[in-house]
Amino acid sequence: MSFLEIRGVGMRFGGLQALDDVSFRVERGSVVGLIGPNGSGKTTLMNVISGVYKPTAGSVTFADKTIANVPTHQVCRLGIARTFQIVKPFASLTVRENVAVGAMYGRDGAKRTTAQAFDHASELLEIVSLARVADRPASDLTIPDRKRLEVAKALALDPDVLLLDEVMAGLNASEVDEALALLRSLSERGVTLIVVEHLMKAIMAVSTTIVVLAEGKKIAEGAPLEVTQSRAVIEAYLGARYVKRQEAARAVADARAAEGAR
Amino acid sequence: MAVATATAPPARRVGLGGITGSPLALKVVVGLLVLALAVPLLHNGYYENLFRGILMFSAMALGWNLIGGYTGYVSFGNVVFFGLGAYTSATLASHGIENVWVAVPLAIVVAAMFAVALGVPILRLKGHYFGIATLGIALAVQEIVANVDALGGGTGVTLHQAAWYSQYYYAMWLVCAGSLLVTWFIARSKFGYALVAIRENEDAAAVLGVNATYFKVAAWAISGMMAAAAGAVFAFSTGFIDPPSAFSVDNNVFPIVMVLLGGIGTVAGPVVGAILLTAINETLWSHFPQIHTLFFGAVIVIVVLFLPRGLLYLQNARGGLRGMIDSLSAYRV
Ligand SMILES: Nc1ncnc2c1ncn2[C@@H]1O[C@H](COP(=O)(O)OP(=O)(O)O)[C@@H](O)[C@H]1O
Ligand SMILES: [Mg+2]
Repeated sequence: MSFLEIRGVGMRFGGLQALDDVSFRVERGSVVGLIGPNGSGKTTLMNVISGVYKPTAGSVTFADKTIANVPTHQVCRLGIARTFQIVKPFASLTVRENVAVGAMYGRDGAKRTTAQAFDHASELLEIVSLARVADRPASDLTIPDRKRLEVAKALALDPDVLLLDEVMAGLNASEVDEALALLRSLSERGVTLIVVEHLMKAIMAVSTTIVVLAEGKKIAEGAPLEVTQSRAVIEAYLGARYVKRQEAARAVADARAAEGAR
Repeated sequence: MAVATATAPPARRVGLGGITGSPLALKVVVGLLVLALAVPLLHNGYYENLFRGILMFSAMALGWNLIGGYTGYVSFGNVVFFGLGAYTSATLASHGIENVWVAVPLAIVVAAMFAVALGVPILRLKGHYFGIATLGIALAVQEIVANVDALGGGTGVTLHQAAWYSQYYYAMWLVCAGSLLVTWFIARSKFGYALVAIRENEDAAAVLGVNATYFKVAAWAISGMMAAAAGAVFAFSTGFIDPPSAFSVDNNVFPIVMVLLGGIGTVAGPVVGAILLTAINETLWSHFPQIHTLFFGAVIVIVVLFLPRGLLYLQNARGGLRGMIDSLSAYRV
């Protein structure tokens, strides 16, 4: 049995099929890049894996448990943590208090006193470069800092699997490099990552496997280079007409080259 | 996964100013509470009634603050607990047990059972729906009580008061001090942080491991216990209760306004609000007996419009003038 398995997952919102028969396995310690155009169902899949939504078809299993049967607040105790793409800070609490809540109620939370939870939160704020605003209310944070806070809150749960939904949006180039270094170090510590990101450079740099969604369906899965060169993926991203035009252009160029060689 | 860092953790701030509110205001309130112990020594019936009223409303406001302030679930029916507490005393009295010290613990148990039984279904409702459900429950319970002859029906119940009347003052003092102490403990505990996390974002709280249903029901139950204890003492101190007095609109609305006036989601705020609103009420009574209700309504509107998070918010470390402007723009429609 595999570590984390997504099996035939479907999610329907009224008339909209946001996910349709999506299946893949996530191996322990891997870094799965989950990509796809806007509205392709990436966030919905994160919500299903983290138990926030119950799928209307199929199942997600982790540690011999079907996530849909586990209350949302217990999913993190199994070892799955996630960030929210639309950030959800506890606005009136300080940044440190935000993270401390995770340290109090997450996987090892029962073992921590309030003071220990605050200490753990402080350590995590160092890691995500938020120590400088630790005592400010979360409502004061900029968008990139709010994304960092999401990551720190998820880390406070001591996860085995971390789902990151567009946490690099809005970061500048050097901040992206910092974030990538953080992901690598988490991965080296054995945390399994599922990363949604639009920045291809970032996805290519960290992923061991890439899964591509388009209109709720899985259209490709494999090693990064292989997947990004697949015709289906390029079509999904850039449109079928773009692919045809590219192919026509290449045919013309090839013909010219052939002519030139003659 | 253990994340280790070489850097020493910066100075931590456990609950300070954060969810406990202003430490200074808390000290002042505790000081006033200690002074209030001396009121019966004045042997002045007016003052004793006035201050017992403040203690009663403080306990009810502290109760409302727990569910409405800390947890963010605005209840419009907390008077139901007050009424249940009053009727616990009345029922005991009509069975010959005319003892406030027995009635208060029993009222607390009754409130807890009622809150758990109803809380599980109605705390699944979010936002305004919860508020409307609590109002419905309060009206329904009042109606039921008015129609049960064993509870005195619509005509009410008379309770015989003990010769030592000031015991009701001290009982109310204990109810208020106990409510303040419980709130203080909650605001410094993991429990308090769970409540605030639920208020700020229930989905995010759940993902962080907070069992929202459990904490909401617990908060509502503790909130109800405070109101019920106050109600149990009230029944004896007033000597007669009927459904309109036990479930009165005033006892439902005043605690909410007091919390808003004093400082929502702080430990001391509800007591500050109870003192101020009672003072305003008394002043208006003595100067404008005819149109006092009109003035009082105006005070409520002003509080809600201009001090949506209360006076204490103004001098809170995170508040100040900017805080007030922020809260105005955040809360005003
Ligand atoms: N709670 C919801 N209710 C209704 N529709 C939703 C909900 N969540 C997502 N959707 C829809 O599902 C589709 C996939 O959305 P999403 O998973 O957010 O895509 P992505 O993250 O890949 O951009 C979109 O059409 C979106 O509008
Ligand atoms: Mg998304």
